[in-house]
Amino acid sequence: MTIMTKFFNRITMLVAGSVFIMGTVGAQVAFGPVTGDAKKGMQLYYDYGCYGCHGYNGIGRQNLANDVSGIMFNETVFLTYLRAREDQNPLFPTQSMPNYAAASLSDNDAKNIYAYIRTFRDEPPEVEDIPALKAILDAAENN
Amino acid sequence: MTKKSEQEKGGISRRAFIGSSAAAGAATILPKGPAAAAQAAPSGGTPVSLPPTPQQMAREVGDARPPTTFRAAQRPGSDLIVQVLRDLEIEFVASNPGSSFEGLQESIINYGEIPNVMPEFISALHEESAVDMAHGYAKSEGKPICALIQGTIGLQHASMAIYQAYHGLAPMVILVGRDDKHFLQAHTADDVAGVVRSFTKWDAHPQTLEEALVAIQEAYRQAITPPCAPTVVILDTEVQKEEAGDLEIPPYRPPVIPTITAAQADEIASGLLAAKNPHIAVGRMRTPAGPKKAVELAELTGASVTTSATRMPMSFPQTHPLTGKGADSAHDYVLGLETSGAQASLNGPHLRTLDGRDLTGINFGGIRPPVRPSQNVPGENDLVADAEASLPLLVDAVKRRMNESKRETVSQRTVQHGKANRDARVVALRKALEKKREGWDASPISLARIYAELAPMIKDLDWCLPSPTIFSGRHHEELWDHDKPYSHFGGHPAAALGFGIGASTGAALAARDRNRIVINIQTDGDLNYTPGSLWTAAHHKLPMLTVMHNNRAWHMELMYVQYMTGVRGRGHDRAHIGTTLRDPFIDYAKMAEGYGMKSEGPIKDPNKLAAALARGIESVKNGEPYLIDVITQPR
Repeated sequence: MTIMTKFFNRITMLVAGSVFIMGTVGAQVAFGPVTGDAKKGMQLYYDYGCYGCHGYNGIGRQNLANDVSGIMFNETVFLTYLRAREDQNPLFPTQSMPNYAAASLSDNDAKNIYAYIRTFRDEPPEVEDIPALKAILDAAENN
Repeated sequence: MTKKSEQEKGGISRRAFIGSSAAAGAATILPKGPAAAAQAAPSGGTPVSLPPTPQQMAREVGDARPPTTFRAAQRPGSDLIVQVLRDLEIEFVASNPGSSFEGLQESIINYGEIPNVMPEFISALHEESAVDMAHGYAKSEGKPICALIQGTIGLQHASMAIYQAYHGLAPMVILVGRDDKHFLQAHTADDVAGVVRSFTKWDAHPQTLEEALVAIQEAYRQAITPPCAPTVVILDTEVQKEEAGDLEIPPYRPPVIPTITAAQADEIASGLLAAKNPHIAVGRMRTPAGPKKAVELAELTGASVTTSATRMPMSFPQTHPLTGKGADSAHDYVLGLETSGAQASLNGPHLRTLDGRDLTGINFGGIRPPVRPSQNVPGENDLVADAEASLPLLVDAVKRRMNESKRETVSQRTVQHGKANRDARVVALRKALEKKREGWDASPISLARIYAELAPMIKDLDWCLPSPTIFSGRHHEELWDHDKPYSHFGGHPAAALGFGIGASTGAALAARDRNRIVINIQTDGDLNYTPGSLWTAAHHKLPMLTVMHNNRAWHMELMYVQYMTGVRGRGHDRAHIGTTLRDPFIDYAKMAEGYGMKSEGPIKDPNKLAAALARGIESVKNGEPYLIDVITQPR
């Protein structure tokens, strides 16, 4: 596969993914059932480096806690997303979402990870209830 | 600036020196005895280095006695070198001791009525640290200090930091001791500076004390003349130790920095005052005087301003009323100060202008032109002149054109911009805070929480954030007010790790006697290159609070390898190999304690963070550096 072909495929993937996500953002997401084992998923989430971008608690460069992107809609969508970037070999090092091939991460293990991610909740206090953040805001408003 | 110009004015050209050295031959340059024979008559064309003698090694390990005959100079040459540094107001000489500059080191610590002040000898545990300290100081104060480096071996240790300083446009004078007696052959060379010539602006190897004094002055002048960059002077041990006699220090001539012409200043001033909505875009200037003059120009004209203060030093105050995203952006006149503009941009010479210097026969292929030339090539309306040096002309030109009517217009515009910018700032901050509170109570601790907890603690302090923050989320950009020329230094200029701790230590040198504190948000991977700077900070009582961003990995590289496992469909669970700092985890509080620095941690509980930070701030305000190890989210 030529570099140009790979590039074209990548763009196609990105466009398709964007359309999918755009269609789900803002909608009330009714999540599908969980069939995996969240406890096993917790270790897999660490071993497979998911925490790198998504944080140890689902909050990071790309949040998974409180996710409404559609990727977590159900196990099938999740698996499809994991496998979606097969053979997308970048010209430069990248921190983008890697492809997770079935040969490296089985469907069962992926479902276990899915189950663990579904346990994530982030319910931080309101800004007004966090002294440091409120002090920052007050300083700006009184400036 | 270049060798050619040096030769033309009969100066001390490195190339000329090398040429003359080569012509003079081994009789004058190479050592006597076996080592000389090995160099002068190599078998098979390859010079052979002999192992050091027992006497040589004894000196290296500090077991040497003075020679039976010695010269005690009444007025050592190195005293005059120190006086030159003192006259140039060089505050510090950062150095890891070596065996080729004991003459100069002795003068620094003993010469003068108040010895070891201006310059003060700063003990570094690695040459890379010494140069990074000079880099941090330069970014903070806009002027050089010295790094004093052992020839060949020390200079190779220092080379990475010099490379970074070159890309960082950091002025510094690197003094390099050269063992001209070939005490250890492996510690000397004919062309010592060659190893760093590709990424230094200017170097010289003076052959006499008189030449050395001139060379140091020229090195200083070259370093602070835009494009600012490191310069190198090689100082032979003999030059340092010789009797100066009645030699006088020549007067120092400040550089003449290129400015716009008076006519150009008039034209720009007219444009600014005639415009209904003028704008000034401010990049990085050279010294604190630049931003000060930029503020004066903006306030005189009521122009709205964009700043680079959250990404680089020496820019416009971030929360000045004329700065922000609220002001009307339909500008009808734009002036760029070290940044691109529409009608006129003042951009000083860039490193690209040095491309014509000696690139032959130097390792690494020399410094190449920028990959994206558009960043550094003057645009259609660019004036190649230093913005900072040109600003006084502009300010004067605006003042001359000012009248009551224009003053009234400027006043109204200033009020409008101030209100719009303030309102926009609050709206943007509210939006940002909604993101910052995500994961607020998470453990490991979120990076946003570290910056947020610090914000109210440092709000009324004079602070400096030297460490690159690209890996820790850059949360300071929205949460802290970057209102000083030294508020933040930006990223790693050459995208190379090992910079944060050294640069922070250098900034803390500048801060120590200026009632300022340094906040160093320190990534763990970066610290492990040169952790010895912790000892330097403790030893010299530098006001530096180090907060570890301890994600226990070289995280960017972990993500690169992760992606590659994805491309190849194998072994995602092995991407941590070679990219993580686990098994065992590193205890940074203990590391700091070992270096004599107050410390605490590791802290995983977010509810314990604020109290720890408060203790750290209090310690630093009292002149005691402090380290807090915080176990953080990866990014």
